[in-house]
Amino acid sequence: MENHIKVSIKNLSLWYGSNQALDQITMDMPEKKITAIIGPSGCGKSTLIRCLNRMNDLIEGCRTTGEILIDGQNVYDRRVDAVEVRRRVGMVFQKPNPFPKSIYENIAYGCRIGGINTKQRLDKIVKESLKEAALWDEVKDRLSDSAMKLSGGQQQRLCIARTLAIEPEVLLMDEPCSALDPIATAKIEDLLRDLKRDYTVVIVTHNMQQAARVSDYTAYLYLGKLVEFGPTRQVFEKPEAELTERYITGRFG
Amino acid sequence: MRSKFHEELKEIKAKVARMGELARQMLKDSIKALVKQDTELAEKVVSHKGEIMNMDEEIEQRCLQAIAMYQPTAKDMRTLGVCLKLITYLNRIGRYGKDIANVAKELGGKPHITRLVSIPHMAKLVDGMIADALLAFEEEREMNAQEFTSRDDDVDALRYSIFRECFTYMIEDSRNIERCMHYALIARYLERCADHACKIAEKIIYMVTGERKEIK
Repeated sequence: MENHIKVSIKNLSLWYGSNQALDQITMDMPEKKITAIIGPSGCGKSTLIRCLNRMNDLIEGCRTTGEILIDGQNVYDRRVDAVEVRRRVGMVFQKPNPFPKSIYENIAYGCRIGGINTKQRLDKIVKESLKEAALWDEVKDRLSDSAMKLSGGQQQRLCIARTLAIEPEVLLMDEPCSALDPIATAKIEDLLRDLKRDYTVVIVTHNMQQAARVSDYTAYLYLGKLVEFGPTRQVFEKPEAELTERYITGRFG
Repeated sequence: MRSKFHEELKEIKAKVARMGELARQMLKDSIKALVKQDTELAEKVVSHKGEIMNMDEEIEQRCLQAIAMYQPTAKDMRTLGVCLKLITYLNRIGRYGKDIANVAKELGGKPHITRLVSIPHMAKLVDGMIADALLAFEEEREMNAQEFTSRDDDVDALRYSIFRECFTYMIEDSRNIERCMHYALIARYLERCADHACKIAEKIIYMVTGERKEIK
């Protein structure tokens, strides 16, 4: 891999109480590339990406071992502030979850909490984030409308814009298109390709073809273990592991 | 849904194998018609032209439909891609059979210059290559690229020797020119069929292993 490694996962294991969900995961995610995580339900895909911004800290009884280094810094280091990690590593969820506020406020809210209060700066951030999320042209004349009035696809792009507004370095996407129709899905996929110019993206998807279409690298997880990780073209054309072959050709899972 | 796709893939493969059998039959019968000066058999070979073309179109259509509907990956994807290539090669082989049959029709009724030995021998080698490649395709078995290269070299050498033999007859008697030109052309057709068999073998290696190997 020629690129700088943005996220390096080393021997990561995770337990929910006595139930082990991740088992000795080791992989490097290159900067400004899209890494897709695929695998059958319950294999630990979402658990894995939730580790990257320490979202699992919020779950009682959750325990991890191993390291996750972002630009060489272990996010699980005791001196590291989890809130700061979540600023650097933004996340978009399966179902669009805008705040029940205006389109403008959805984006400005996080920035205000981060200490940005001047209208001029907020206006600029809102405009740039919406542009980056390919939503600006569709909403520029109705920024004060409720975000809940937007379509599902627009809401999801708004959530992406909201994440971008606080200038993250890594974007995590947990099945961002599973609740969207094919047209809205295509828009998000186009957007992903644009976003990788500036961000490192990690996407969890159940849609094999989506992984093949948008990602540069693909990781295949099964029962909490990393079975295969490599360039997407190789994984989909000639996977190394028999288990990956059987999964991606639909012979199980 | 996936099991439906795998059933479809199996059917497509079976159709490619049947097309392969037809192409082989056309080639074998054309040589038989040539050697035995059997114009009726030659006519039968020519009449298969439409059938092999239809098979080509039908399989192509089914492959494209399967890609659109199921978006296959890994070995499934390689298999469909290889089926699409194979039908072109097999169509060509069948058409060379038709071309040879047309020559057989033209040469029918007049005796051969000499007893035809090299051409049927060459045809047998070529048919063996096609048959082995098709069997490997059906059984999804890896092929030995080196061994195939050496068999192709034998076919090339035979083509050269037939050319030389033809030159000799042409120099001896100019009345032999037309007939010898046809023999040389047939040798060239058979050589091309062996080349197609090599391409088929290359594709099967790719289908089975995902590796690309060249058979020279």
